Amino acid sequence: MLIAAVSGTLALWVMDIILVVALLLLGGLVKGVLGAAKSIVPRIDAIAGVAAAASKDLDAVVVLLTTQNYISQIVGSVANYGGSLDVALPDA
Amino acid sequence: MSLALAVMILLIVLIIAALAIYLIATIVELIKINKGLAVVIGSVGEIVTKTAPVNGVLDAINGNLVAGRNLLENLFLKKGGDDCGGLVESLFPGEGQKFLNRVGRRGPVVNTGVVYTRGTVILASLGRGAPIGAAHAKGPAVRDAKYSTTAAAMLYPRPGGDPKARPKSPVVGSNSPRQYEASSTPGVRPRLRDGSEAPPPSAAPDMPMGGRVEVRKPAAAPPPPPPADGGGDAGPGRLNVKGKRPWER
Repeated sequence: MLIAAVSGTLALWVMDIILVVALLLLGGLVKGVLGAAKSIVPRIDAIAGVAAAASKDLDAVVVLLTTQNYISQIVGSVANYGGSLDVALPDA
Repeated sequence: MSLALAVMILLIVLIIAALAIYLIATIVELIKINKGLAVVIGSVGEIVTKTAPVNGVLDAINGNLVAGRNLLENLFLKKGGDDCGGLVESLFPGEGQKFLNRVGRRGPVVNTGVVYTRGTVILASLGRGAPIGAAHAKGPAVRDAKYSTTAAAMLYPRPGGDPKARPKSPVVGSNSPRQYEASSTPGVRPRLRDGSEAPPPSAAPDMPMGGRVEVRKPAAAPPPPPPADGGGDAGPGRLNVKGKRPWER
């Protein structure tokens, strides 16, 4: 009977030790997860700023339509100039 | 209740509390991340929307530029003929062979900038009487790779006239020829350069011995009339075919 009581108390203490180890281990792990989550937030904010700036910079893309028109006109002028050169210069 | 049981209960409570605290903090950070990503997704969507027509516009621009390039290259090949690679080589060293390869031609690349001096080909093609222009039409090009500047010099032959008709430069120094007879009296030249008798020297003015020497001004004579414009025989100075130079008049 005495042996059973002593063994029960010992088991409780062993269980306490296991719980202490589990507390430290879980605390460290969860603290790591929290640190990782906190480190993501400023990077997300930075990406948001860059994306907003990039979106604003792309407002000038519309000018490409004007550039396309100009280049089309320039190529037309070059074609006319080439035709004049073709008439003015003798062939090789 | 035994002490071991109480410690166990306390440890369990601590574990649950630690988990709750850290997990709640993690959830809060994840919520912040979610909000940040929502903002990023909005901006990325704008970027995608704004860049959507770029491909079509750039393709159209590229097509126009390729058409212009092909037009100019074909014109260049038509007008330059076999010399086109050399012309490209003269303007962009090292690009002549690449140009020929790109347009599908083969042959040696002769740098026209080395064979001809600058502007010779242009003047020859304009018919300025250059020897390379005389045989420019269909025959082989008259090139002188060794004396390339000859072609340019022949464009304007003898701009100063016949060099044999020009007077030679005078010889100066110790080897210069003696052109005047040696004189025994200083200041008296017995003979001129051509050997004729020299005029007698003018009488020296009487110098009073002592006293005051008066310097008299000569009688004022009217200044000589200026030479007529374009007159080439009056006064010293270099003359050109049109008379004196403007700063010598």
